[in-house]
Amino acid sequence: MQEISRNKKVPKNVANVSDGSYLQTVIDNLPVALFAKDAGDDFRFVLWNKEQERVTTIPREKALGKVDSQIFSAEIAEYFRDVDRAVVKRGKKVVIAEEIIDTDEGGEIYLKTVKVPIRDEERDRTLLVGISEDITERVEAREQLKKLNENLFEKNKELESTQMQLIQAAKMESIGRLAAGVAHEVKNPLAMLLMGVEYLDSGIDPDDENIEIILNEMREAIERADDIVRGLVDFSSDRQLAKEETELESLINHILLLTRHELTRSSVSVKTTFDKNLPTALLDSRKFEQVMINLILNAIHAMKDIKSRKISINVSKEEIEEASLDVGARTARKFRLGDTVIHIDLKDNGTGISNEDIEKVFDPFFTTKSTGVGTGLGLSVVRKIVELHGGEISIRNRILKKGAHVRITLVAPRSL
Amino acid sequence: MAHKVLAIDDEAGFTRLLKMNLEKDGLYEVRVENDSNIALKAALEFMPDVILLDLVMPGMDGGDVSALFQTKPQLKDIPIIMLTALISQGETSEDAVALAGGNPVLPKPVKLDTLIACIEEVLKGSAAS
Repeated sequence: MQEISRNKKVPKNVANVSDGSYLQTVIDNLPVALFAKDAGDDFRFVLWNKEQERVTTIPREKALGKVDSQIFSAEIAEYFRDVDRAVVKRGKKVVIAEEIIDTDEGGEIYLKTVKVPIRDEERDRTLLVGISEDITERVEAREQLKKLNENLFEKNKELESTQMQLIQAAKMESIGRLAAGVAHEVKNPLAMLLMGVEYLDSGIDPDDENIEIILNEMREAIERADDIVRGLVDFSSDRQLAKEETELESLINHILLLTRHELTRSSVSVKTTFDKNLPTALLDSRKFEQVMINLILNAIHAMKDIKSRKISINVSKEEIEEASLDVGARTARKFRLGDTVIHIDLKDNGTGISNEDIEKVFDPFFTTKSTGVGTGLGLSVVRKIVELHGGEISIRNRILKKGAHVRITLVAPRSL
Repeated sequence: MAHKVLAIDDEAGFTRLLKMNLEKDGLYEVRVENDSNIALKAALEFMPDVILLDLVMPGMDGGDVSALFQTKPQLKDIPIIMLTALISQGETSEDAVALAGGNPVLPKPVKLDTLIACIEEVLKGSAAS
């Protein structure tokens, strides 16, 4: 030892063993915060090392001779007092895994503290010695991790829902491919059946009137099967639309002409209203006809048990302003501020839709009609077509009257 | 004299019924070929006035057959009507139209009067040219 101390330069902060102050130097250079309180003198501080100064940001001279309540907030001081008393009473070491103290700068410090009661027989007193480790960084890291974890959980949930959407999209894609294949395979035998019916049709026995009825039924059945197959392909494929600027008033009047037969047969009165100066819409009019015809036929079907059957079709325009944007909803993304949108509202006074069914009306193959009356593809195809036009469709029960209210919203072509 | 119609379609049941329907009133004489790979031989032998051609067939499809006929001076002016189950009434599938190479396309199932109207239309057109 002597050899070493002779030959090596002694660093400044290393105590000289011989001068007796080494104990204070050791205490000050400990990498842990150390303090001691005199349990017999109201737990006044009698020891306060450098690390304790750093951790608490309270200098030694402000702490020595003081009690907790003079240097910490009342709440913290009270907590320390309770712990200290308990430690002295137990006469054993106590580990406080995590405690918080406020700093003068208004921050918080997390400490892991061990408190030990030490009996000083010589001076007949009990000291409470505390050794604290600053775990602020660790706690902050943990909190950070907790937040990240929550974040991750959220992201995971989002991912799961995206995955579900992707699975759904993949399903639709495979249904699409399947539908196109099935369509081709089904249409060929249908073509054969129709050729057969056409041949028999030319040689009907005039004495048997049933044959003509049977052949007509068969012809209708072939058409129906063809329609179903077409619906399936329409629903599942992203077909190109042949969009043109279209006057909605004349298109809707044309559609009413196409459905006149059904409307008259079911004694439905139709009332239309159109806003003045309606902008044109970019539409594939054939596809849009399909949408409106479907909705009108659904409305007729919903009113079959009603005496006075009424459909109203109202076409109006709206400028999208901030207030009318449904923030966070899909509307906000589809229609931009300043867009002009066109609402087509179709209302009937039928039975409406049960709450149970309203969620499902756009699902493929969902139907409330008996076999042969509907394929269950109608509204799912309708929605698909509206969405391909960049529009939206919603369906709800009317509030003041009975019946359903379908709203299609389309954006008018943006002026350049 | 009855117009000569060559029907090239792998669906034998369909072509059999098609032949019965078209020949029923003596307006047409129909030859059927169910194997597209030997359609050229059939066409050269029969020298039809109009060709009814299925689009989707094993081996050579309707597009291939039509392109092949275009290379033969004896056949290139014979009008072709495409019959296909790829599209439905009133719609145009871009694939089918592209494959048809400018020929009229009729969707299956097709009504007899629609088919006859189309045959007469193309016959009128080819007679005029």
